[in-house]
Amino acid sequence: MAGAVESSLVNEDTSGTETIAASAVGLAAVLFALSLAALFEFVAITDPIAGVSMVVLLGALLVVLGAAVVAFGVGSRLGYVATQPRPSAGLVASVAFAGLWFVVGGLVASQTLGLGTVGWGATALVTGGVAFAATALPREDIGSTLPAGSLAILTGVIFLAGIIGPSWVWDLGWEQQASFNAEFAIPVVTAFCSLLAGWASAKAYGGFGARGRHVGAYVLVYLNALSIIAVLFLLVAFTVLKGLPGLFNGLAFGPGAGPETTLFGVTFTLPVSWPFVMNGVALLNDINGVLPAIVGTIWLVIGAVVFAVPLGVGAAVFITEYAERGRFTQVVEVATNGLWSTPSIVFGLFGLAFLVPRLGNGKSLLAGMLTLGFMLLPLVVITSREAMLAVPDEYRDASAALGVSKWQTVRSIVLPAALPGIVTGIILGVGRIAGETAPILLTMSGSVAPPGSQTVDVIGGFEFTTAPPFVDNPELLQATSALPYQLYSLITAGVGQSSNIANIDEFRWATALILLVVVLSFYAVGIATRYYFRRKLQHE
Amino acid sequence: MTETTQSTDAEQAAESTQTTGIDIEGGTGQPLEVTSGETREQTRDEWVEYEFDGAAKLAVEDLDVYYGDDHALKSVSMEIPENSVTALIGPSGCGKSTFLRCLNRMNDRIKAARIDGSVALEGEEIYQDGVNLVELRKRVGMVFQSPNPFPKSIRDNISYGPRKHGDLETGFLAGLLGRSDDDAVDDLVERSLRQAALWDEVQDRLDDNALGLSGGQQQRLCIARALATDPEVLLMDEPASALDPIATSKIEDLVHELAEDYTVVIVTHNMQQAARISDQTAVFLTGGELVEYGETEQVFEDPESQRVEDYISGKFG
Repeated sequence: MAGAVESSLVNEDTSGTETIAASAVGLAAVLFALSLAALFEFVAITDPIAGVSMVVLLGALLVVLGAAVVAFGVGSRLGYVATQPRPSAGLVASVAFAGLWFVVGGLVASQTLGLGTVGWGATALVTGGVAFAATALPREDIGSTLPAGSLAILTGVIFLAGIIGPSWVWDLGWEQQASFNAEFAIPVVTAFCSLLAGWASAKAYGGFGARGRHVGAYVLVYLNALSIIAVLFLLVAFTVLKGLPGLFNGLAFGPGAGPETTLFGVTFTLPVSWPFVMNGVALLNDINGVLPAIVGTIWLVIGAVVFAVPLGVGAAVFITEYAERGRFTQVVEVATNGLWSTPSIVFGLFGLAFLVPRLGNGKSLLAGMLTLGFMLLPLVVITSREAMLAVPDEYRDASAALGVSKWQTVRSIVLPAALPGIVTGIILGVGRIAGETAPILLTMSGSVAPPGSQTVDVIGGFEFTTAPPFVDNPELLQATSALPYQLYSLITAGVGQSSNIANIDEFRWATALILLVVVLSFYAVGIATRYYFRRKLQHE
Repeated sequence: MTETTQSTDAEQAAESTQTTGIDIEGGTGQPLEVTSGETREQTRDEWVEYEFDGAAKLAVEDLDVYYGDDHALKSVSMEIPENSVTALIGPSGCGKSTFLRCLNRMNDRIKAARIDGSVALEGEEIYQDGVNLVELRKRVGMVFQSPNPFPKSIRDNISYGPRKHGDLETGFLAGLLGRSDDDAVDDLVERSLRQAALWDEVQDRLDDNALGLSGGQQQRLCIARALATDPEVLLMDEPASALDPIATSKIEDLVHELAEDYTVVIVTHNMQQAARISDQTAVFLTGGELVEYGETEQVFEDPESQRVEDYISGKFG
């Protein structure tokens, strides 16, 4: 074939050069991690590390990395390193590098050299054009290393020379106060350059060509995924670290340590005392807690699930199995999708205007349950419908061929097969509604820092009456608190400072941690349920 | 037997490569459709006459099926004898599966399908008002092309039909009321699995999920599941087409044994299989026409229709 690049089937021993490329990838990863650490202020950029300040270290590492990348590319071009590069690095890389160098050239010209609009425009065009040519025209080994490596070197030199130092600030000069400071700019630029150089050195490690592109993309995707997971982990870790001190205040074990509890008519004393989750807020408490809000949140979620799941699954059964597929089902689908994306405050307003006047004309737990149930309903319908559509028609055929009626088929074949999907939908929905603040604010919130005596007792609240409907539950019709609402009011209104809460900041973070734990426990229950049903369906 | 086939003298037309021959009317009164490489000829009604002793288990008369505007099955009439194996063969899209699905009214489940004509099970018309589909499908069981066990245990798969029909009561309430038929379930499971030649392979793991079985075992499980409702007729839609040769030969042996107690109607793509296992063979050809029906040996060795001979010898289809 004309123009085809011949490459050997078995590569010669390239371990020496591969080690250099691999160390460049490793260095890029280290730089990326360092810049993330600096960005989240685990390390200040002026902190000395190994005798030099962070900025200098980052700059020096960037120069080393860039030099390694460029050296590898040039070495490959001159034939010192055995690689299989393509004739060009490709259009995507060329355009990306051109855009990048356009920005860099423009910024250097306008900010550092102080040229006017014409000046920086021309400089930016020239640097962008040169970068495009440098990427597109030479062979791939030069094209993908030179622009990336020289950018890293340039950035490193700028850091080392102190042009961007710790006290550097770039005032954008807008009407609003807007500026980039060094604490933000240096880590972000370093992270970006390390990603770019890491990609180039990963390509070099793969020997360019198809394998090199694969390795390059692999490194980018991997680093990206890792940093996302790191951010998630960071979020949870941050909340846990901040929340722990307030959480275990006054924790005590031992017989008779805890409060008296009555469960199903049996009164006993708990062997553990955990004030933060067993107390409310009161003037005479030694340590205040959020028990009413925890119990309120749990009952809220249970009520919403009990209300929405049967309704939602029933509706999904109807539109999937019984209703003729056509205009009607389409309208229902559009409506459910629309409802799911409706802002929660609108649901809250609906609850306030429609439910509250009809349920005792006051904010109540029941109104909150129903409002959140309405919020949950569309997601249950959507996911149940998807799960039922995914059940193979063969099962329905087989069941019909055995002479089993449609409803029995739905009940004993379709629903069990769809259950894991349905449970997934409920998990997602509960995750959303358990942390909702706006609807609760409007429909059920009472005191922002309720005392322990106001803990809602739904089971104990049922009482029989002589008049229809013969059963009554005043607890359901009482206003109560929930964790997201309590957190909101603790933070925005500063409520609680007057209520003998010793350390309000600790109290807030502990409340946030408890909210996180409650929501994650609902998740855990849901995931365990899904796992159980999945196990039952599969043959493992 | 068939009155509709008002054929004139056969016109053995020359070989044609046209897809349709509008100039010749088929024996069904419909324009004859042929594929390339197929001889043009007119179907004669004596080709589909098949004499046998005893009463017909299933009698089909003038059966027409339309899918929307598509005329999928054209005026098919045939009688199927009791306790025998009837093979339906023909090229793809010739309507043999459609015909099979008419025998237990599974085509009712396809909204676009319209069915004209009559099918009688032991003299009782199944296409009339007031037919109990549950009872019909209990008496006419069906096995599908690809194995489709439910994602349940082997035991639950077998006992599913009888339990849903209310013939067997299991579960907590039945146990509480002392009406539990657990022993009967065990008997039924063992009997059905033995009939389907699967008992020895799965007797130790009846509570395992059926999806863990191999393809051949799954298909035999589906046969056992169909047998559990104690049917009289067993319809099989290419039951071995998704299986390897060893599993296929097991299914074939099984079909042979089942014919002693059941009336088996089997659709197959594999002509050797039809020749091996069936007592009589019906050949459907392009356009949804029943072209020839008779004793298997006669159909394969001395077919009356030139088109059937071409098909069997592999000239088309």
